[in-house]
Amino acid sequence: MTATDPASPGAASARHDDPLNRTDPLNRTDPLRRTDPLRRAERALEIPVGRLVAAVGSAAATLAAAFALAAMSAYLVTRAWTMPPVLDLSVAVVMVRGLGVARGVFRWIDRMITHDVALRGVVSLRTNLFTALASRGDDALLRLRRGDLLARIGDDAQELAQHVIKAIVPALVSVVMLVVVIATFAPLSGIATAVMVAALLLASVLAPLAAHRAARISEDAVVTSRSQVTAWALEILDDATGLRIDGRLEGALEAMRTEQAAHDAAIDRAALPSAIASAAVPLTMILAVTGSLLGAGAVWLDGGASAGQVGILLLLPLSSFEAATALPAAATQYARSQAAARRLDEAAGNHSGAGTGATTNTESGSGAGTASSPGDSSPVAIERPTSAVLSARGLAAGWSPQAPRVAGLDLDLAPGSRIAVVGASGTGKSTLLATLAGLLEPLGGTVRLDGEDIAGMDPAAVRARVTFFAEDAHVFATTLRENLRVVRGDLTDQEALAALAAVGLEDWVRGLPAGLDTMLGPDGTTISGGERRRLLLARAVLRDGPVLLLDEPTEHLDTERGDALLRSLLDPRDTSLLPASTTAVVVTHRQEAIPSGTAVLHIHDGAATTWTEAP
Amino acid sequence: MTTPPASRRRRAPLDPRLLREVSAARRHVLRTVALGLVQSGAVIVTALAIAGIGAALLVQGQSPLSLPQLLAVLVAALGVRALAVLWEQRTAHRAATDAIAELRGRIVRHAAHLGPRRSAGRGADLTSLATTGIENLRPYLVGYVPQLMLSLTVTPLCLLTIGILDPLSAVIAVVTLPLVPIFMILVGKLTVGRSERLIADMRTLWSQTLDLIDGLPTLRALGREKGPEKTVRALGERHHASSMGSLKYAFLSSMVLELLGTLCVALIAVNIGMRLVYGQMDLAPALAVLVLAPEVYQPLRNVGSQYHSSTDGLAAVTATFEVLDEPVPADGDLPAPDLATSTLALREVSVRSREGWAPHRASFTVPPGEVTALTGPSGSGKTTAVHLLLGLLDPQHGQAEIIAADGTVTPVAQLERRSLWEQVSLLPQRPVLPPGTIREVLHDARPDATEEQLQEAARAAGLDTVIAERGGDADLGRAGQGISLGQRQRLSLARALLSPAPLVILDEPTAHLDGATEQIVLDLIRRLRKEGRTVLVIAHRSRLVEIADQVVAVEAVLDPDPAPTALPAGATSERPAAEVTR
Repeated sequence: MTATDPASPGAASARHDDPLNRTDPLNRTDPLRRTDPLRRAERALEIPVGRLVAAVGSAAATLAAAFALAAMSAYLVTRAWTMPPVLDLSVAVVMVRGLGVARGVFRWIDRMITHDVALRGVVSLRTNLFTALASRGDDALLRLRRGDLLARIGDDAQELAQHVIKAIVPALVSVVMLVVVIATFAPLSGIATAVMVAALLLASVLAPLAAHRAARISEDAVVTSRSQVTAWALEILDDATGLRIDGRLEGALEAMRTEQAAHDAAIDRAALPSAIASAAVPLTMILAVTGSLLGAGAVWLDGGASAGQVGILLLLPLSSFEAATALPAAATQYARSQAAARRLDEAAGNHSGAGTGATTNTESGSGAGTASSPGDSSPVAIERPTSAVLSARGLAAGWSPQAPRVAGLDLDLAPGSRIAVVGASGTGKSTLLATLAGLLEPLGGTVRLDGEDIAGMDPAAVRARVTFFAEDAHVFATTLRENLRVVRGDLTDQEALAALAAVGLEDWVRGLPAGLDTMLGPDGTTISGGERRRLLLARAVLRDGPVLLLDEPTEHLDTERGDALLRSLLDPRDTSLLPASTTAVVVTHRQEAIPSGTAVLHIHDGAATTWTEAP
Repeated sequence: MTTPPASRRRRAPLDPRLLREVSAARRHVLRTVALGLVQSGAVIVTALAIAGIGAALLVQGQSPLSLPQLLAVLVAALGVRALAVLWEQRTAHRAATDAIAELRGRIVRHAAHLGPRRSAGRGADLTSLATTGIENLRPYLVGYVPQLMLSLTVTPLCLLTIGILDPLSAVIAVVTLPLVPIFMILVGKLTVGRSERLIADMRTLWSQTLDLIDGLPTLRALGREKGPEKTVRALGERHHASSMGSLKYAFLSSMVLELLGTLCVALIAVNIGMRLVYGQMDLAPALAVLVLAPEVYQPLRNVGSQYHSSTDGLAAVTATFEVLDEPVPADGDLPAPDLATSTLALREVSVRSREGWAPHRASFTVPPGEVTALTGPSGSGKTTAVHLLLGLLDPQHGQAEIIAADGTVTPVAQLERRSLWEQVSLLPQRPVLPPGTIREVLHDARPDATEEQLQEAARAAGLDTVIAERGGDADLGRAGQGISLGQRQRLSLARALLSPAPLVILDEPTAHLDGATEQIVLDLIRRLRKEGRTVLVIAHRSRLVEIADQVVAVEAVLDPDPAPTALPAGATSERPAAEVTR
């Protein structure tokens, strides 16, 4: 309940007041750490306490200005009715006019500060979430569907911005305003004060509590239904052609409609309690207005109050609920924020206590141009040796211990070795490469680099020596240059063009509208399967060692050119693609193209492996 | 494909097209007007009752308890207002839910019918509009529209009441009120275009962030997963800066509204006070005017504070109708002839691509009962040629035709596509499977198939090992995501074999298969031919080409000049652009 828990956001962000101490915001190892995902998400927003105080202060000032204006004008009018000397009213007149101006100015400041705090928070949150995702294992990352990720980083992060704007700030403001209202009524009438406190507490505690409860119930349903709708929409948009030809588009649209209807029903259940909660303030106002009227009657007839004070008692109740009006929405938002925070927690992998090690820096603002630069990203320059010995002993690889794809494999690859890996689809060739690259934990046995078990090595040091080039590697929606720079930050244009020429993309680059600066991907040049494949191969060529693990590097290419490239990769005497000292493990289907004399590792069903030499 | 942005124009606060086409939105607006009238009545009665009770107390010294009728009226008026708020909020959410559902459904359906090329320009944009962008309608319909309607009911009715009670106060309000639209227009001039830019900015930053996440496994394999978070932060900072830049002006309008509203109340209070001091006014109307004065401005203030949700909502509506206005390639009305005996043909067909024309002047036929292989370097337009044959795309030059057994030539554009597609089994590079278990997915291809036929097809496609491993009743999840791409391909092959469609189109069927399975595909194609079916196969592999009856080379030309003069319409082919028949 936001209204009764005002200290927590402030307390959480107080720890981040010191900018040097901004480590690990998604998963602190602090012994006092609360396990509530929302608290963790609030910490990941990294809101400095000073900014939060400024936001609450300006928002409270805005409401207080309106409240004071109502009180002063009620006082002014009823006091004037008693026809005092005009000079007696001058203070009230000046105050009324001043307050009339103040509210608008305070409102603007309040909106700006609050939104600034919230939007900054979301930037930090998204960055921390990305960092957490980056340090998760491949399998976890792949298991999260794209639609889900879109929803996490988009909707859920946005939800936490709303959390600041609609829940945290209004909750704190309502506490401030409750004190202001009590302080105003207390000197005037005991009855009116008691009734106002009762009405305000009813409005600011019970109604939001009910709204929160109901919203939470339906929010749980929304978690599943909204992402189902999104997943269907994505699938239909991605695969429209296949669905249409197959005559299944209508069925898919119908399925999306069904999911949408389920989602609508879930959303609809959230609407009624939130409507009840917004009607609660006008309802409790009945109590406040009549109670205060009776209080005014009592003090006036007793002669215990002036006309001006009675005027305040008569009219002010109508203007005392502005802060409380925002609370049901705050409570609904709080429930949404909790659900969003839980989903963010799952995506970040916090429930398992996986180390996120997120350290963000705030000074990276202006550097980005129009193109994002995945290549601008070597935090620590780890020296890449020119050669390395990769070996494996009794290696078992696979996704689950019950079904190893490869077992008992021994492997010794001296610098400059070239081997081919073949086997039927689904036998585990890619799994083996991922395991050799240290991206997947072995089910048994060890992988060693220069004699050292990679399980105990710094992942960055492993990557510096062994690089896995997956078949489905990503082509970033940025320039061609950045897509190559992702393997080497210090890439020159000459090197990039040479590598592209080596894989047969010379003509393609020449035909591009802006050469290396051409944007690729959904918002730029659409590239064909073959071009994509060769672009990924160009990355491997640029990486050039010491150990490259290539998954189907020549798939999707026409046979002749694909085979030529494959021969070049596997023949250590051919240095057109790779230097002689580079070790390469190449998965391929094209057995007939493997140069004679190359060692070939066959992977069979049932995890068995055999070695042959290509004829 | 780009339409001149309608966004240059200033938008009305209610999009007429939204009201015309989305009945939930239209009913919502009518209801909020009615409820606005009810609330106006309640507000006015409340003010008069409080003023009556207050004046009776101060002037005549009557206790409020001695006026039970007036107290009852006050309670009733406050109660009616509470109920009106309840009803309005309840129905507003419903209306927003219905409107979002309807428009999302229409966007997705329309985009699906736009054909394969529509995604070239707006992949992620369309996605984010259909998933998150359209949700901007909710704050617009729930927050903005009811307040807009209250400002059209409560504001004038309260003003009228003030005018009856105290004309001078009404004059003050009437003089300050026109300042509201004047300032709104001034502020509106400042914000115009900002919201569109914000949405456009958001989309771009968004797809860039999403792209980095999509690429995380790749970055991780390269040891580069640490560092891009700086880019994520930089993209976020830009989003933040651009949002604040836009909000600065959006909030300016709410400041002006607050300022004018409270200033007017202050002026009225001071004015009434001065007249009361000199005995020129009675207390009861003074109190009533004081209660009503803020109510004149309250709806306008609320409209102002919701202003940015209105611009976001309207921008989403505009983006939606921009998508819906993109013309869908027209469907024809002629039934397709029987493909078992008809020939498909491309005549001098060219399609504009990014780098030139792909395909360029493709002319070939796909005779019935034969195996035709399309070859050509990557990017030469092989898949596009298939899309043309199926009438999914309209070429810039030339046309796709179908030649029936009796020699009748019909352009594909005139065919009712459904009647054509019903006779086609398409196996795209990335096969799309219906949801369900392996058995259900197979059954779906031919509902009347016997268990034996199913098993035989599964065996022929090399699926038996998959079934042995996973079981025929293993749920593959949506679109077969539970199995590998190669397995999905084999499952699709089995479906093609089962389906009775006379034309089978295979787009690089061996791409994810190994040598042994390649043999399965080759046997399968031979078997389809033996069954008398037509096979069109896009092939890189020489072995696929070897079994084809006819090999067609598709060519692209590099031609950065997009002017259509690059291909004179009357040009005849001195050199057959693309046909090699063996």
